[in-house]
Amino acid sequence: MKIRCCLTLLIFVATCLPVDGPAWAGDTKNERPRSLTELSIEQLMEIDVPTVYGACKFEQKVTDAPASVSVIAADEIKKYGHRTLADVLRSVRGLYVTYDRNYHFLGVRGLNRPGDYNSRVLLLLDGHRLNDNIYETAAVGTEFPLDVDLIDRIEIIRGPSSSLYGASAFLGVINVITRQGKDMKSAEVAGSAGSQDAYSGRLSYGNKYPNGLEMLISGSLYNSGGARGLYFSEFDTPATNNGLADRADDDKSHSFFSKFAFRDLTLTGAYISREKGIPTGSFGTVFNDNRNRTTDAHGYADLKYDHKLENQAELTGRVYYDNYSYRGDYMYYGANPGDPPVRNKDFSDGEWAGGELMYTGRFLEKHLFTAGTEVRYNFRQGQGTYDESPFLSKLDDRRSSHIYALYLQDEYHLLSNLIFNIGVRYDNYSSFGGTTNPRLALIYKPWEKTILKLLYGDAFRAPNVYEQYYADNGVTAKPNPDLRPEKIRTYELVYEQYLGEHFRSSLSGFYYRIDDLITQQTDTDGLLIYRNVGNIEARGMEVEIEGKWTDGLQGRASYVLQETKDQETGNELTNSPRHLVKLNLSAPLIRKTVFAGAEIQYTSSRKTLAGGDEGGFVTANLTLFSQNLLQGLEFSASVYNLLDRKYGDPGSGEHLQDIIGQDGRAFRLKFVYRF
Amino acid sequence: MDFQTTRIIYNHCKIVILTLVALLSAVPWNLFAEDSASREYKVKAAFLYNFTLFVEWPTETFPANDSPLTICILGKSPFGDALGSLRGKTVKTRKLAVRQINSVQEMRGCQVLFVSASEKMQLPNILAAVKNLNVLTVSDLDRFAEAGGIINFITLEDKVRFEVNLKAAQQARLKISSQLLKLARDVIE
Repeated sequence: MKIRCCLTLLIFVATCLPVDGPAWAGDTKNERPRSLTELSIEQLMEIDVPTVYGACKFEQKVTDAPASVSVIAADEIKKYGHRTLADVLRSVRGLYVTYDRNYHFLGVRGLNRPGDYNSRVLLLLDGHRLNDNIYETAAVGTEFPLDVDLIDRIEIIRGPSSSLYGASAFLGVINVITRQGKDMKSAEVAGSAGSQDAYSGRLSYGNKYPNGLEMLISGSLYNSGGARGLYFSEFDTPATNNGLADRADDDKSHSFFSKFAFRDLTLTGAYISREKGIPTGSFGTVFNDNRNRTTDAHGYADLKYDHKLENQAELTGRVYYDNYSYRGDYMYYGANPGDPPVRNKDFSDGEWAGGELMYTGRFLEKHLFTAGTEVRYNFRQGQGTYDESPFLSKLDDRRSSHIYALYLQDEYHLLSNLIFNIGVRYDNYSSFGGTTNPRLALIYKPWEKTILKLLYGDAFRAPNVYEQYYADNGVTAKPNPDLRPEKIRTYELVYEQYLGEHFRSSLSGFYYRIDDLITQQTDTDGLLIYRNVGNIEARGMEVEIEGKWTDGLQGRASYVLQETKDQETGNELTNSPRHLVKLNLSAPLIRKTVFAGAEIQYTSSRKTLAGGDEGGFVTANLTLFSQNLLQGLEFSASVYNLLDRKYGDPGSGEHLQDIIGQDGRAFRLKFVYRF
Repeated sequence: MDFQTTRIIYNHCKIVILTLVALLSAVPWNLFAEDSASREYKVKAAFLYNFTLFVEWPTETFPANDSPLTICILGKSPFGDALGSLRGKTVKTRKLAVRQINSVQEMRGCQVLFVSASEKMQLPNILAAVKNLNVLTVSDLDRFAEAGGIINFITLEDKVRFEVNLKAAQQARLKISSQLLKLARDVIE
């Protein structure tokens, strides 16, 4: 493993060396005339001013935020060939993604509990909450509603350290911001083809009209045949096709996104439906039966109001309606040998609507004050499961609930270089009552390019209806209505240093303590159940350096050392890597037109549910990206898992597999054309 | 740190060292040396000069026919010596002057006011103070134009762009040429 890993790094070093010369040289010579003041505005608008400091329009937001924040820009998504939000997040400091070949699960700060459906990370799309009201899933894989081509940037906010965010912002917030119609100014068509018979297509149009109306509409299709001949040793018997799942890994989706903005109002509509074949024989289903599949659909309409008041105060409001549905087909063996398999239909339906109102104002010159309220009605939280023939209903659970919250935050500029951020949030659940959580931050800039943050945050997560009430009459799972909310307390120290214009480095240390963590367990009767299982401690440190230069050379490298421990048993948690290393480098091969983007990610060994060890792995991805070879055309070619490393992710309680194999080397070709 | 952890770290040491080697080889060390003015602000300084060519001030703005057109930088200047290149330039018949000021009270005689990022918390006061003066306000503060400033620098895909608040310009009785508006990323009316 080591040798492989070293080789990878050497390749990485080698790929970045040859481009050094021309990349820097372009900076000083040909491009700059004697004086910039002799240039016209059109010419000035063509000059590259790459910097990690100041230039980024969100920089003030990043440095003043009461949290450790990473921002990934559209440009990086293109140059590294990221296919899904999960691909993007894998490259981010401290994050790791687990895929059970049905859904993607995000790990933050060493926490990614098997059987947890991503309910501890809040996923926002232009500020609209995407976590559903059954599983509270933050869908980051192919079930994420937005085509990654439509992303303008992604903000990753670690920890619960802002009181502005609610329920699911337990370990962090991922805010995906979409591109604006005024920047698209045309129609776009995109298509891709790749390994596993994967094809995708997209058609978009965006513009801003002289009357002030701005719009963006887009539709996407995706279809993948999935991995062929996935081998699982746990099913290696003649009766189960010798462990080979053949053509049972397909993945297809269609999605739609639209956004209309006029004056203070923005109306957004989004929809995705994704169907996934399950190749793992999860939940004791018939292995290698491609009728095992799930379909998740999520749609919403969101109307946002953003009004500037006198004195730079701002009033933001939002009303929305969301609809989520899940349909699962699971094939089970008949009661007697020789009987045909019985189809089990598993489903859930969620509907919710809500509103938010937030006021931000300045007073006494030193205070930036925010007050807000939100309310959400879950008027439908239904779960059910039945056998089709002979018909047998095993669950028909219908619920409704509501949540309201109030929050206050004051950004107190004590000195010109010292901010004290104090926030408090009150959440009230119709099912659990109220909870008040404080968040505090001290942000100190001793020098212009040095930022120190001391952060403290408390947060709370109520169990979702799936964790509490899902049951199927003793086949796989049983309910636990007595589940209590889990609580987290976090401490974090962040040191950010900008070096010149081109470098940013950050160093942080964190300590998280979770009480009553909700965890999936397999009970003595073999059934899955969620329980509050004691107290968890997570601690770690993260280092990262980021650089950006003229001509498009950019990169980032990070290393995270973390440790999670169950306080009672003293054991390390499952699916929790101690070390994460990420390297990203994008270098121009031909000035302004052709770029090479390389990614290397190392995840150290993770403990599995059976007490085993997944072994750790290194993956490398390489993308060649070109733009403007033909006017308006972008073209890219990518190789994922370049070294064809065999690796797997830990399975959950519903899997017979302790480790679920991941994809080997894969390719993709993609184009985007603007006209 | 217990023994086991130390060992694990040692075992991964190679990876970390190689990471650093990869990283350092990619770093052009001479870039640590900071220019007195960054490329970004050299470009923005040239923009400031260009803006003055596309804006018309009411004649009474200037005390005399030969009064200079003055660009004032309010707060901690990010320009370094980049504004030096503007000195000696002329805008139509007027000489261009550049002045550094520390508070909005010192802005008599300024026709262009660049608001530095250091003034973030003072922004409402600054905008209120210049509201009825014939001053072209420019800044790269986040959402400056939406807040009532006239020209807002924005960096998009590593290039400097700008947005114009036409309403604020009209309030300041400045005429902005349609040529400039055409080049703006967005015009707020």
